[in-house]
Amino acid sequence: MLAASPTALPLFLALSACKGPAVLDAPPTVSHQTHVLLHAVTAELNLIWIYNKAIAAYSGLEPHLRPLRAEHEAHLAQLRVHIIEPQGKHVPETVTAKPAIGATQAAALTQLRDAEQAAIKMLMSRLGGASPSLAQLYASIAASEATHVSVLSARIGG
Amino acid sequence: MAGNAAVIAALQNALAAEHAAVYGYGVAGALLSGADLVNAKADWNTHQLARDNLEAMLTRLGATPVASSPAYDLPFAVSTPAAARRLAAELENGVTRAYLAMVAVSNPNLRFFAAKAMQTAANRATAWSGSTVAFPGMPS
Repeated sequence: MLAASPTALPLFLALSACKGPAVLDAPPTVSHQTHVLLHAVTAELNLIWIYNKAIAAYSGLEPHLRPLRAEHEAHLAQLRVHIIEPQGKHVPETVTAKPAIGATQAAALTQLRDAEQAAIKMLMSRLGGASPSLAQLYASIAASEATHVSVLSARIGG
Repeated sequence: MAGNAAVIAALQNALAAEHAAVYGYGVAGALLSGADLVNAKADWNTHQLARDNLEAMLTRLGATPVASSPAYDLPFAVSTPAAARRLAAELENGVTRAYLAMVAVSNPNLRFFAAKAMQTAANRATAWSGSTVAFPGMPS
């Protein structure tokens, strides 16, 4: 049954020509869920960058900002856990926005608070289309960031 | 129908957490004074409103809202103002967990509602405990 047949090879080639080798297919498109996750990763990277710059510029803020930054680093790690790196697409590792840090401590704190609020808004807008487990992760991160807004607001007010 | 059952179960779970919070704030408030008492009363009122709202939502869905228990087991002995503040934070953590469970339902409006409720509960927990956490509502 497995002996070579003079008709087998042309038949194989003809079938191959019909379907085409899979390795030459275009990379699969990134799913909406993955696209949102990648966006959330970038948002966390951008937030951490602002925290780093604010701490570097105003060392007196470090004791207050370090715990919040650590929570963002935890968010980032957890978001990355959920990503199965799509073919041809890498999980972001660099920030995409590097705004100038506020000229005063109060301005820097306000900038951080505004960035946190924008991150919450983004996460809340992604809840509806997410899987149940991702929706819960987004909601929990948004709740964490809401507490950051309160902490930062208190420092601005104080 | 299965979706409706999941929604009702999530609402009942949140309502049970709100009942427990209303009871718990009654215990905590008895040991607090000054600004802490003012805050406890405000939070107690907030949970009563949330309870009433959840009951109305359940009734609209044709479900019978779960009733409160006459008494609840406290997670630890509460006999000092410090323990009362810790209890308040723990009550808020329980409410946050209940709303996190609700986020898993497929209804996008309910997800949004639950996620917003998580934010306010997490903020109250932070106010009572004095510290933030990375993942409110999630198992630590």
